[in-house]
Amino acid sequence: MKARHLSIIIRKEFRGLLNERTILLAVLLQLFIAMFSSFLMVGLTSMYDPSSLSKYSRFKYNIAYTGNDSALHDYLDKSPDFIVYDMDLSTAVTTLKERKIAAVIYVPDTAPDAIDPVKVTLYTIQNDLQSAIVNVKLKDIFLKYEKDLRNIRGTRLTEQPIPLKLPQAPSGGDFYEFVYGLLIPLLVFMPAIISSALVIDLITEEYQHETLETLISTPVTFAEMVWSKVIACELLVPIQAGAWLLLLLLNGITIENVPLIIIQVTLTSFIPILLGALTALHYRERTAAQFIFSTALVVVILFVIALPANPLNLLTKLAVGTAGTEQWFVLASVIVISIFLSIATQWYANRVGRDHLSI
Amino acid sequence: MPALADIATIARWEVKRTLTQMSKDTLPLAIVLFVLLVLVTGFAAQSGMHLQDGMYVVGVDNPSIAQLLSSDSRFTVYQLDSVALFSNRQFFDVIIVHEQVYGSTTERGKSALKTIERDYTKYTNHVYNQQDDLYSAYPLWIDIQNVKSELNFLATQSGKYISATPSNIAPVPESEVHGIPTPSPTLGFSQEELRTELTKSETGNSQISRYTEMLSSDSSRGRFKTPSQLSPPLPFDSIILIFVFIFPLYFTSQFFMMSIMNERIEHKGEVLLSTPVRTGSIIIGKSLPYLIGMLAISVGLTAYLKASPLIILPLIPVIFFFLANALIIGMVSRSFKELSFISIFFSTVATSYLFFPSIFANVHVISLISPLTLIILTLQGTTYTITDYLFSTSLFWLTSTVLFYVAVKNFKEERLFSEKRLLPRIREFIAESASKIHPFVSLFLLNGFAIPFVFMVQLMCLVLFFNLPMPYSLVLLIIFAAGIEELTKSVGIYTFYSQDVNFLSWKNLIIGCFVTAVGFLVGEKLLLLITIAQITESVFGSILFLSLGTLWLPLLLHFAGVFVVCCALKFGGRKWFVPGLIAATAIHCLYNFYFILGWIT
Repeated sequence: MKARHLSIIIRKEFRGLLNERTILLAVLLQLFIAMFSSFLMVGLTSMYDPSSLSKYSRFKYNIAYTGNDSALHDYLDKSPDFIVYDMDLSTAVTTLKERKIAAVIYVPDTAPDAIDPVKVTLYTIQNDLQSAIVNVKLKDIFLKYEKDLRNIRGTRLTEQPIPLKLPQAPSGGDFYEFVYGLLIPLLVFMPAIISSALVIDLITEEYQHETLETLISTPVTFAEMVWSKVIACELLVPIQAGAWLLLLLLNGITIENVPLIIIQVTLTSFIPILLGALTALHYRERTAAQFIFSTALVVVILFVIALPANPLNLLTKLAVGTAGTEQWFVLASVIVISIFLSIATQWYANRVGRDHLSI
Repeated sequence: MPALADIATIARWEVKRTLTQMSKDTLPLAIVLFVLLVLVTGFAAQSGMHLQDGMYVVGVDNPSIAQLLSSDSRFTVYQLDSVALFSNRQFFDVIIVHEQVYGSTTERGKSALKTIERDYTKYTNHVYNQQDDLYSAYPLWIDIQNVKSELNFLATQSGKYISATPSNIAPVPESEVHGIPTPSPTLGFSQEELRTELTKSETGNSQISRYTEMLSSDSSRGRFKTPSQLSPPLPFDSIILIFVFIFPLYFTSQFFMMSIMNERIEHKGEVLLSTPVRTGSIIIGKSLPYLIGMLAISVGLTAYLKASPLIILPLIPVIFFFLANALIIGMVSRSFKELSFISIFFSTVATSYLFFPSIFANVHVISLISPLTLIILTLQGTTYTITDYLFSTSLFWLTSTVLFYVAVKNFKEERLFSEKRLLPRIREFIAESASKIHPFVSLFLLNGFAIPFVFMVQLMCLVLFFNLPMPYSLVLLIIFAAGIEELTKSVGIYTFYSQDVNFLSWKNLIIGCFVTAVGFLVGEKLLLLITIAQITESVFGSILFLSLGTLWLPLLLHFAGVFVVCCALKFGGRKWFVPGLIAATAIHCLYNFYFILGWIT
């Protein structure tokens, strides 16, 4: 295998990518995914925990309290989120329909220490953003009241849970698991998947555009052709992954062990890329190769994620800084699998190459 | 009918060719892979997802708490005595000493603390669920009664909080008060019934629900809830189901894409084009097997899930949309690489458009812009109306039709067997669909038919910006909506200009701009008739479709926008196209700001 031959073909492939600006689409795609997932997250959180958006917390909501007096009334009065009006139920619900109040609460005449539970009826407006916000705010108050009632009835419990005193919930930390436990491994590993789809395209293209014969008639061997395509795709991985990490860092997300993450991703990406190359060599036709490969990829990724201490989990641990010595074992097994796949690719490419010569 | 016979013949060819191509040794392997997929899914369901293992380090002095926490694989738990814990505090994210939890102030510490809080709630719930006296463990139950508001949802969306004007006197209803029966103080369910409901929500795949539990407790559908269950339910199961429906559609449209591409490689499709068959028949014939396949898959899945057959209806326009896009992508791309990237890009954008709004199915009307929301609603047992159906699917029907038309017009040798860059190629496609003899009629129709696409992109922006705080979302939406509209309007004239530089004489320019503006306006009006009120009535809608009042003002605005771009083109050439576009957008924004702000204050 000659390095000069390899580099010529690698450069040819890169020129092709730059010329078609496909790489631009790939970057755009990743940007889109990142933007969308963060919007998704902000949207969801604001929907379920509206106080995370300061704009909502400024408002006081009008609430109608109907029925019998209880400790719930005091909690609502003390809450900075609500203004409570004592009303009669029918008037209150009509007012609710006109959106002059945000919710109506009806409390029955059940004693706190009664055998029966206290059943509070909550009237809200269906499918409405404001109702969702009010419900979340009311939830906190109901929880306090539930705790009181539970204490009053505590003697009737047969088993108490292990007590644990939790500090006042700190603000922030909502997105942490999402960003580090899902977004980072996903985004960083995405270039590997893109590259493995790319290597199939590059190899089948030579077959289907019938440019292979021309290529083989040059001093370049078949195996060299395959390997330079693999390397071209492989080179894209650290570039894209690095760009990602840089973007995340610029967004103020601190990521530990950046060099280690890039090494890990680059080495791991050999596995899907070589698998892609093998599939392409076998089928020599894009439809079949891509179909088989993408199904196989889903199987492999599902399987790997279900294993403890998998490479994707390692990316998370590296990014948060809790990875220990086990990372070197993961890396070692990745390398062993890659070497095995490399040998298979080399053997298969040689065999295919001989077939071509004999024709 | 000779055309029908042609279609049938081509459809048969297509099936035969795909099958011979596939059956070599793809099919056996595909079956093996499918079996593996089922096995692996089972394994993954059992073993769970191990993406977040060992994210946090926790130190504990109590063995029973240590045991409790180590059941969550996110924690690496160390059991030490309290002195050792305090002296090594910086090593841990959280330490628990004498039942008191201390979290570190880092982001990781805060997140770990929240995770412990959620785990602990789950644990206490588990203990409480075992209690014989369930009502001492859960003394408070909430019965949520939904009330339909007489005002529509624009009230909360317009940035005004109608109910939120604080005063000391209780608000008085304006309309007649209808008597509401006093709710009964009893639950009407036995303790055991409630217990099963509680334990049902307690179990469930913790590995998957981990991603959702920070948002909502669970989607328990019981009418009575304990306070901790009081969050809008995330239709999580239904969302997963939707992926099951959409995923096969992607695969099938990939095959279609590839089949079109194969016709183009090395002029293989030339034979087909030389037969006396109309291009329309060729395209219908080629897409028919895929359409039938997709429908069969959807029907099969529905039958398998024993779901209501009504969920097929919203899927049909989605299937057409996928086919139309696959066709265009197959015709546009130059190489396999390009095909891959464009198709991945398309599927991501399409999934986001379809998937994202449906998450809010239980929360907000806006979720109806995705047909998938209708599926979720059907799965949950809510029915949808014909208006809902028209609203969420009309854009899919219209855009697919336009795309099919463009494809039929361009399915000829000089388009299929030439290689050009993406943008010039799309321009060629548009030019081919437009008539050179009647340029102004074409401009009118082009702009009218561009409206569904404009709406789609704008609704996408609406979904994106909806989540930002109020002033920013408005400003961004105004800018983007204006930019998209100006870009669309200029496309037609730019196409004519790039074909013939002399096209832009003063007379042509004025007429062209006028016709473009009218076409755009007419398209807008017609589509509004279909999609009616739903979104257009909110303040967001009024930015997008700010032409409800007088007609001549928006006409003038549309005219001015194109006119600016055309003048930039006429005097500056292509280099000035983008600056012209920016100027037009600025004018459009100013106009919108003036009216919206005037309307709000």
